Amino acid sequence: MDGFQRKATGALALGAGLLLLLPLAGVDLFLLDVLTTGFLLACYVGSWDIVGGVAGQISLGHALFFGTSTYACALLTSLAGWPFAAAAASAILLSTVAAAVVGTVSARLKGPFIALLTLALGELVHEVMLGQTFFSPREGYSWGGEGGVPVTLPWKALSPWAAYYLGLLFLFLAALGMTRIARSKEGLIWTAIAGSELTARASGVDIARHKRRAFLAAGALAGAAGVGFAAYVGRATSADFSLELSFQAATFSAIGGRGTIVGPVLTALALHAVLQGAGFPPAARVLLYALALLLTLRFFPEGVAGTLRSRLRARRMVSEGADR
Amino acid sequence: MNPVAQVILDGIFTGSTYALIAAGLALILGVVKVVNLSHGAFFSLGAYVAYVLSTKGVTHPAAAALFACVIAFAFGVFLGKSFINPLRSHPFSVAVGSLGFAILFEQAAQILWGPHPVSIGAGPPWAVVSGVVVRRWGAVSLLASVVVLLGLALLLSSRWGLPIKLVAEEEEVAGSVGMDVEKIRYLTFGFASAAAAVAGALLAPAVSIAPTMGRVPLILSLIVVVASGMENVGAIFLLAVGLGLLSNLSAYLVSPQWSYVSLLSVICLLLVLRPMGLSATPLGRDY
Repeated sequence: MDGFQRKATGALALGAGLLLLLPLAGVDLFLLDVLTTGFLLACYVGSWDIVGGVAGQISLGHALFFGTSTYACALLTSLAGWPFAAAAASAILLSTVAAAVVGTVSARLKGPFIALLTLALGELVHEVMLGQTFFSPREGYSWGGEGGVPVTLPWKALSPWAAYYLGLLFLFLAALGMTRIARSKEGLIWTAIAGSELTARASGVDIARHKRRAFLAAGALAGAAGVGFAAYVGRATSADFSLELSFQAATFSAIGGRGTIVGPVLTALALHAVLQGAGFPPAARVLLYALALLLTLRFFPEGVAGTLRSRLRARRMVSEGADR
Repeated sequence: MNPVAQVILDGIFTGSTYALIAAGLALILGVVKVVNLSHGAFFSLGAYVAYVLSTKGVTHPAAAALFACVIAFAFGVFLGKSFINPLRSHPFSVAVGSLGFAILFEQAAQILWGPHPVSIGAGPPWAVVSGVVVRRWGAVSLLASVVVLLGLALLLSSRWGLPIKLVAEEEEVAGSVGMDVEKIRYLTFGFASAAAAVAGALLAPAVSIAPTMGRVPLILSLIVVVASGMENVGAIFLLAVGLGLLSNLSAYLVSPQWSYVSLLSVICLLLVLRPMGLSATPLGRDY
């Protein structure tokens, strides 16, 4: 554990304490709602960082896994009448299968072409879902298209406080799992592939298999975030597949620091909470995200967490040199 | 009145205009050596310039094309010089950053002109041949595209095009014989962006102008670029016309949104089935 991690742990504990205290401090319901969706969004962004940051595969279609999961939850509970738990399990399974397919077909491609393929696959499914009507009830709106499909939930109305704490717990567990994965032996192999595919291959790593595994892990985690989102919002819409959502995953990770998991998760939570809490409409929000992304890429290519880590490491190396 | 002949003629007009966009994207891939995902936004920019001019009473296609050309050239040079050039060796920054520019433009257009499609009048038809309407914008854009692409082909085969080809193929040599490689790169970027905006301005009467309209020509151009290369201008033109026909026919035969779906399917199939064919492009090398 180096200095950066020690300092980061302290900051994280403080953040967790504040987030736990917030609802007790009489925050209004709107902000609670913003933060609860923020927890789920942060988990989704963290799952992108597994494949896009740690494993270095430029995926621009990550919403595909998220949308697969929310749509599976909605269609299986509302149309097929499954209990929510079974639908949730199948949803995670389905998004993992989708990730396996994407990981397999993109395994032979390199850099920008993976970006192209994942972007095109995401857009393809988004367009199909936009034009698809699943069910037309005799009265009311038909299910599908932009309006989406409702999710049948086992509870009448979840208390906003319960949802908030469940969301926070979910994010905490997911982030813990993701950092564990990133620091495992598998994560080390992914980091090696992200560094240089040629070197990793020369060291005897089966690149295609490990790339596929990175997609699998990321897809399953994005699917879990999708289940949480479907359960909280109660509706799956075609926006769950949109390019804007895929773009947000890559954007928050780039701003937070690709491959650090904690950086992207916190950036997603903070930016989402501040901009949505301030009441910006979606178009203005995405515009500001894009602006922040471009400035970060140009001036801090390592992102916030990456830059901080490099600075701290550089300072420590200087002081160690002076001691000697 | 023959609807299929009409759809085919309009498809040829649209496709030949898309060839302008694809040629620009191919130049960027060849000379700057990046996959530029912001290219479609310049097409939308051109269309919105034509729309704004038409609301002010200026409906001549040449005026819209000229305006769009100058504005997009300025933005293209800025983007190429201050963003793409310094970051071009980072595939992640280029891919996500250029997509970021496209999304930035889409959201700005949505705020400025609203999320719903707008349109401008197509004007009186240029000629009617046995029931098939030859539209004015179509004739103008076909002509413009052929002239620009012929000019590009001539440039690449003449002495004046040597710096571009040298930067594309042997950038170290180009630098060592005293060429300003960076300048050639951002100027190429500016010209390619201007071409995309001109295409957008000329096609504006034929399409519904919406913030995300640039995605269709972007995907179409990416297919053309992945399948052909930078130098074979004739192949770029024919492929773009073919894909324009495919997208118009699938819009006519199935439903309008299927033109985008069919193009997306083509690029997915191309990338999945021919991953080795891509190594012919300058990005095929290992990072």
